[in-house]
Amino acid sequence: MGREGVARCGKKMDFHLHFKIPGGELLRIGLEVHVQLPTRSKLFCPCPTNALEPNSSICPTCLGFPGSRPVLNRKALEMAVSIARFLQCRISPQVWFSRKTYFYPDLPKHFQITQYDSPIGTDGLFPVEGKNIGIWRVHLEEDPGRIKRVGKAGEEVSLIDYNRSGIPLVEIVTAPDLSSPDEARRFLAELMVELKHMIGTSGDDEQSIRADANISVGEERVEIKNIQGLRNLERALRFEAGRQQKLLEAGMKVMRETRRYDEERKVTVSAREKEFEEDYGYIGEPDLGVYDLTSLLNALPEVETPLRRAQRISTVYMVDYDKARQMVLTSMALADLFEEMAKRVHPEMAMNWTLGPISNSWPQILPRINEQVTRDIMETVKLVADRSITDSEGRRRIAAIAAGECPEDISCAIQDEVLESFISDYLDKHPQIIKDYSSNPKAANAVIGHVMKLAKGKYSSQEIVDAVVKEINKRKG
Amino acid sequence: MSHSMSLSELQALNQRYQAFTELSNDFTCLQDLSNRTHFSAKDNLCALGFQARAGSKILEGYRPPFDATAVRRMKEEGAILIGKTNMDEFGFGTFSTNSAYGIPRNPFDESRSCGGSSGGAAAAACLLPGHVSLGVSTGGSISCPACFCGVIGLTPTYGRVSRYGLIDYANSLDKIGLLVREAASLQRWLPVISGRDSNDPTSCAQPPLTLSGRGIESVAIPREALNHLDPDVHRTFNKALASLIGEHGIRIEEVSMPSLRYALSAYYVLATSEASTNLARYCGMRFGVRNPDITKHFNEFFAETRSAYFGTEAKRRILLGTYARMVGFRERYYMKALAVRQLIISEYQRIFHDFDAVLTPTMPFLAPKLDDVKKMRPLEVYQADFLTVPPNLAGLPHISLPCGYIQSLPVGMQLVAPHWEERVLLDAARKWTSTFTLKFPEVSF
Repeated sequence: MGREGVARCGKKMDFHLHFKIPGGELLRIGLEVHVQLPTRSKLFCPCPTNALEPNSSICPTCLGFPGSRPVLNRKALEMAVSIARFLQCRISPQVWFSRKTYFYPDLPKHFQITQYDSPIGTDGLFPVEGKNIGIWRVHLEEDPGRIKRVGKAGEEVSLIDYNRSGIPLVEIVTAPDLSSPDEARRFLAELMVELKHMIGTSGDDEQSIRADANISVGEERVEIKNIQGLRNLERALRFEAGRQQKLLEAGMKVMRETRRYDEERKVTVSAREKEFEEDYGYIGEPDLGVYDLTSLLNALPEVETPLRRAQRISTVYMVDYDKARQMVLTSMALADLFEEMAKRVHPEMAMNWTLGPISNSWPQILPRINEQVTRDIMETVKLVADRSITDSEGRRRIAAIAAGECPEDISCAIQDEVLESFISDYLDKHPQIIKDYSSNPKAANAVIGHVMKLAKGKYSSQEIVDAVVKEINKRKG
Repeated sequence: MSHSMSLSELQALNQRYQAFTELSNDFTCLQDLSNRTHFSAKDNLCALGFQARAGSKILEGYRPPFDATAVRRMKEEGAILIGKTNMDEFGFGTFSTNSAYGIPRNPFDESRSCGGSSGGAAAAACLLPGHVSLGVSTGGSISCPACFCGVIGLTPTYGRVSRYGLIDYANSLDKIGLLVREAASLQRWLPVISGRDSNDPTSCAQPPLTLSGRGIESVAIPREALNHLDPDVHRTFNKALASLIGEHGIRIEEVSMPSLRYALSAYYVLATSEASTNLARYCGMRFGVRNPDITKHFNEFFAETRSAYFGTEAKRRILLGTYARMVGFRERYYMKALAVRQLIISEYQRIFHDFDAVLTPTMPFLAPKLDDVKKMRPLEVYQADFLTVPPNLAGLPHISLPCGYIQSLPVGMQLVAPHWEERVLLDAARKWTSTFTLKFPEVSF
């Protein structure tokens, strides 16, 4: 397909939200997501995972030297179990590893240690906007090395960096339940938010996520291998769905094949036509034993992830989910503040204050959050709720707390005087306004606008309007 | 033959018997070692300063950057490593005729095989008094050569000795053990090489090694094991039984172990399946030989190296093992073999309920002439292991003890004990050698 076709296709896709096909079939997407676990050492050896110089973090084990052996990284196993449990998988009480054999220069032993007939978790689910996406399996495996091609065409050489050899990965395989590229992207984005908080996976999503996608518009499915990052995932799927749809509309067949996404050209291209399915000849990994997960499961603390928390907050406090979500995504500490506040004031109000004034000053508040600051914030909102102070006073106090000042230092009375003096000064200079006001209340807008400018956001517009109307009425006598 | 053998004499001896593939130059004469034990490591055990070629051409020139744990522990205990011993390529064989570095000769008769795959280790133990040979058994590679070379060969429980630094044949079966002349050497050195090692997870679940306690009182003989024996071997074995009953007062009974006849098939499926994955890394890219033409596609590059440098038996086992784990065959062979293995373990356990050990001859025939070995078909060779394979498949500790001589060739008997009960075997070896005198050949340079 040429570039022109690509562009047309890309445009066309925007009108097809659900990719309905003439035959009535729906787009089906399944993902195999590879997440790098943030351990300090590799999956089977003590080599550090953060090396920069090529081949600087390698040892006999991750190079597959004869006589070397894998020793499982406990931390990686724990993280994988946490993920499987989080995805509501059935967790096998006992797990073991397998050898997946194939020849490739970046794979030192020419087999990869992975889990085949004994994944850590099976049959889980992950909800995305109310829809449950099935999780077929969650398993742990080692990454191979990385090949770099250098030199000009015809004289290229392959350089291999084994720093990645043995880096721990968790593979999450979904059912083909995703029905649009957008949904696939959201699935992955939400999953990463949760995992980032749960096990501390890298925040740089475009780098740390790799996925293989299976996508079918008609009967035959196509696998797109090794897509890097969220943006590319959505683009690749969009392109591929369009490609398949066009083929079907033209009465042609979709070929079962493996493709890859060309990031430069933004198209999927055929990776190789498989004459036969590769046979990996799996056997059990005899150097590693059988791991009993029962005690590990009991010992692992259950962490409440951000989106789970948003869900709970919206249910328990009967507040809007999207607001709760926005709040937890801003910061889990902000949500802590909210839950503390919702015990003292109405949750609706707590949410408005948390997402409003507090959230606005959050970058200043977060670094200095402590018991005193929390207490000051609670006290302030409580005073507003009790109508002991006005909204704007409350806001001023929050701003003061954010600035590290004592909230009580800013006296309400003094501030009100300032507001009144702004209004009086202006009305003294523009007496016409009071005359005009009787026939046209909009005449007050000039004062309001002026005062707002002067007040620099210290008062709410309603407060200013109230004060202006009050002053005009007083002068009208 | 004495402790005072000089290095040059040892080299001359080795020219003749080819027990070692590499000798250390760090000593002038074995007498120098005075109170230190000299030991050797089978060529598939990594040791600093030596090549580790596992009898294969494909590892020519490979010098590992670390010591195998067993080697390190021997050194730390003061023993001195004098060389690497010859073996069948990667442990693939019963007669040590599959080595790329010459065929070790039986010290009892140079025209005969040492047995395999630890043939060099057994020959070294036989040739050098006071020597400790570290051998490796997967399906009987310690028992078999110990039997043919008339020495004591101990294979510990799977996991008793760390396999770190052992070039794998079949990881779930490989065990490092000892080949020695005297039972006392086992007592001395088994505790040294035993014990947990954080570098080998399969060594970490073991109970501690105890050498004292109740000794051997009763043994069972599976009647299935007595078929296909050479009549001379059978007669010698029966004589040993009489002595066990009469002189040692051991209760002996015949039992039935029907699963034994599946052991060989299960063993060769499992062992070759694992071996075929282990050997995948030998492709001329990272260590050992290198095909100089690196402009080829990697598939071609790998295939050419492997075609040129793997021996015939290695290729046969790679094909066999790969076949057994392919889709469509995996269930039929690999998975079934795993089930057979469980069956055999439970059958042994049933017997150990009533007996301290299981006793059979070690090998069904005497050390064969190397000319006759050449005529054997692969299947015949495999069948020679039918008595040594079952305890290996079950991961049980076992020992081969010389129990008689026919025309000055040794015959061996093999005792198998329950998991982690090495002390039963050591007790039996001590008792047996207190009345049975081992014979060693006069050897010349």
